Amino acid sequence: MKIARKLLVLGAFAVTASLAAQPARPQTTAPTEQQLKAVFVFNFSHFVAWPQNSFATPSEPFAIGVLGGDAFAAELEEAVRDERVDTHPLVVRRLHSIADIADCRILYIDRSQGAGLERMLPQLQQRGLLTVSDMEGAARQGVIIELASEKSRIRLVINPDSAHDAGLTISSNLLRLAKVARTGQ
Amino acid sequence: MNAVGNVLTSRRSSLVFALVYAATTAVAHATENIDTISHLKQLNVEDLLDVEVTSVSRHASPLAQAPSAIQVITQAQIRRSGATTLAEVLRLADNLQVAQRGARGWAISARGFNTDLANKLLVMIDGRTVYTPLYSGVFWEAQDYLLEDIERIEVISGPGGTLWGANAVNGVINIITKRTADTQGLYAEGGSGSEMDAIAGLRYGGTLTPDVSYRVYGKYLDYDQSVLPDGSGAGDAWRRRQAGFRMDGAHTTAGNWTVQGDYYSNHEQVPTGGTTTMEGENLLGRWNHALADDSGLSLQLYYDRTFLSLAVPPLMLGNIPLTAAGTLRDELQTFDLDFQHRLRINDANTFTWGLGFRDTHDVVDNAPAIAFLPEVLDQQLYSAFLQDEIRLREGLSLTVGTKVEHNDYTGYEFEPSLRVQWQAAATQTVWAAVSRAIRAPSRIDRDLNEAPVLTILKGSEDFHSEKVLAYELGWRAQASARLTTSLATFYNNYDDVRSTAITPATILPFYFQNGVKGHTWGAEWTGALQLTDDWSLHAGYVLLQEKLRVKPGETDLTNARNEVADPQQQASLHSSLDLPRRVTLDLGLRWVDTVRNSNGQATGRVPAYLDLNANLSWHATANLELALTGANLLHDQHPEYGFPLASRSEVERSVYAKLVWRR
Repeated sequence: MKIARKLLVLGAFAVTASLAAQPARPQTTAPTEQQLKAVFVFNFSHFVAWPQNSFATPSEPFAIGVLGGDAFAAELEEAVRDERVDTHPLVVRRLHSIADIADCRILYIDRSQGAGLERMLPQLQQRGLLTVSDMEGAARQGVIIELASEKSRIRLVINPDSAHDAGLTISSNLLRLAKVARTGQ
Repeated sequence: MNAVGNVLTSRRSSLVFALVYAATTAVAHATENIDTISHLKQLNVEDLLDVEVTSVSRHASPLAQAPSAIQVITQAQIRRSGATTLAEVLRLADNLQVAQRGARGWAISARGFNTDLANKLLVMIDGRTVYTPLYSGVFWEAQDYLLEDIERIEVISGPGGTLWGANAVNGVINIITKRTADTQGLYAEGGSGSEMDAIAGLRYGGTLTPDVSYRVYGKYLDYDQSVLPDGSGAGDAWRRRQAGFRMDGAHTTAGNWTVQGDYYSNHEQVPTGGTTTMEGENLLGRWNHALADDSGLSLQLYYDRTFLSLAVPPLMLGNIPLTAAGTLRDELQTFDLDFQHRLRINDANTFTWGLGFRDTHDVVDNAPAIAFLPEVLDQQLYSAFLQDEIRLREGLSLTVGTKVEHNDYTGYEFEPSLRVQWQAAATQTVWAAVSRAIRAPSRIDRDLNEAPVLTILKGSEDFHSEKVLAYELGWRAQASARLTTSLATFYNNYDDVRSTAITPATILPFYFQNGVKGHTWGAEWTGALQLTDDWSLHAGYVLLQEKLRVKPGETDLTNARNEVADPQQQASLHSSLDLPRRVTLDLGLRWVDTVRNSNGQATGRVPAYLDLNANLSWHATANLELALTGANLLHDQHPEYGFPLASRSEVERSVYAKLVWRR
């Protein structure tokens, strides 16, 4: 009898829930920090001009390297799935060291890389490489775009000198929305 | 940023947002992510800058850098475990000893000392301390929440006295509920099963203004009784109601506030006759203010009331009742104020300091067999702490600090610690710590009288604090994108641990003293492996050796065995698998070594056991989920705790089904 009562309770709940569930409205759950950052990085591929003729073939992938931050890399993979920059398919490379950045156009350095950033930076300049990091003060250290967290929103900090040194042109539409930082300031 | 300080100073603010990711990368909800991302991709950059995320932690510290033995239970793990109560969820932490006692009782500890009166763990829900000053332990059946609305649970094994104060001797459990912005809309769950007659939960979250959001929730549980060794009913059925609310608001760009409160009531059948009731309510307010340059302020204030009415059986001497049966009632009111300031002085030094005040008003209505004297006790606790995170050089940092506390029983207490963290590589951290922590006397140590007519056991006025000096060495690594592992080792030196002394000549009464000392050592290992995008494994192993002895010149009725009841080893293996057609399957296997225990009257053991929990969930639509959960599947019944008596309750195999609806 006890079992019967339980089944009755469960059944009643199922009916109520399915009735109430009728129009499935699109869910607008708040994105996570990593999702939002991933979409920013995806957008950068359209707001930055790389040096001419830097691709060997039209089908050569446009690679975004990620150092550290697996959660971020997973979200970025979702964000760039089936996307292209001109004819070049976007791909994400999860890197283990900066020795692997050879064919990357964008390099994302997760803040988990911590103190390693200062050491890496000299090797990252002058390569037609857009460096992006969410580490606090990254732009002041020479990273081209910093994704800064301010309360629960993301702010852009751009170092135009570093961009110039790397031979990259950043769209004024992006610059207009960002705070400007100079190396060492 | 300095990760030592990050972990150590983020007491109740969002501690390690990134930990959650590192620990469970990619296990969860792939479809939801794609929806969110494709939505974001439709926005232009200007709009993206306006998007608010669920949580941005300025002090985020990835798992690979955390400088203490911390494990995080994520919402995804909670959801996929099928657990129905908070205590059950804690089985997911490999660095805890968790044993179920019948239908509602739980013994939970870290690094040992998991006795009936386990007292060396500090447990907080959103910054509110939930242990009872009666014995410095936790009535686990009185602590619960709508599990869907828990963001994460941080379980730190090892002392945390420098930040959290007395009682954080062997570990700290920090239960953090979601911000209301993350619990918008309706959530409803209902279920029933073989050992649980009913579970029902309901939550609604909405917004009042663009900057202020809220939720209200309720939860109902009705549990069947457990069984005795002979298969008959143990008479410990119980039911529980809980309801509460939370409101979060942003006041300025830098400040945010939270107001929250809960009410609960338990109704419990007692095996020896009668019923026990527990009820309580709390109201908490918190204000956080972020200052420039990695600095910030927080102020928290709460009021908490708990009421217990425990059915107390007669005190027996053999077959002779010495007292009548009765009821022990206890009403505790707590008022707690906590202030914290984090201040970055320069590139090398970040100071955190804080002040705390707690006032407790405890009123006991004694039973014939057990009494606390005085019946009414007012106490004040004052505390202050200061900590400096020092960046020595690239990748090497030091955290040094101390708490100073003043309690009415023992006066001033100091709880200093020193922590060193070395980031050996981007993916590897080695850390070491030396800390001192204390357990201040509780009412049972000082005020107990069992029983007033013929006192057999009593507290003593000169009972002072138990102390530990703990040495820890740990290592964490992210071996590859798919494999993370950590190892924490410890050597703890205890002094002035509680003993039960014998009165010379008359033998009775027995009374509590600080007559035991000794050491424990052990290791905690965990590993997480993402085998494929759809399948991950998580394994844990704990080794624990406890060597306690009676100090010269002291006596102890149980020869130093009464304060420990722990397995020397335990191991676990969890598998999380995403199947096609939006079905998930989770399996949790655990092995617990023999537990040897002693309560003075009897010594005994709980045999080693292996058991399995399983959860199968089907996300039928975006709104509807159906889950089938089985617990303790390998045995009809087995004991996890207590003495091998005919009255020892055992845990049964159980299965339940649950429907969940989210919108």
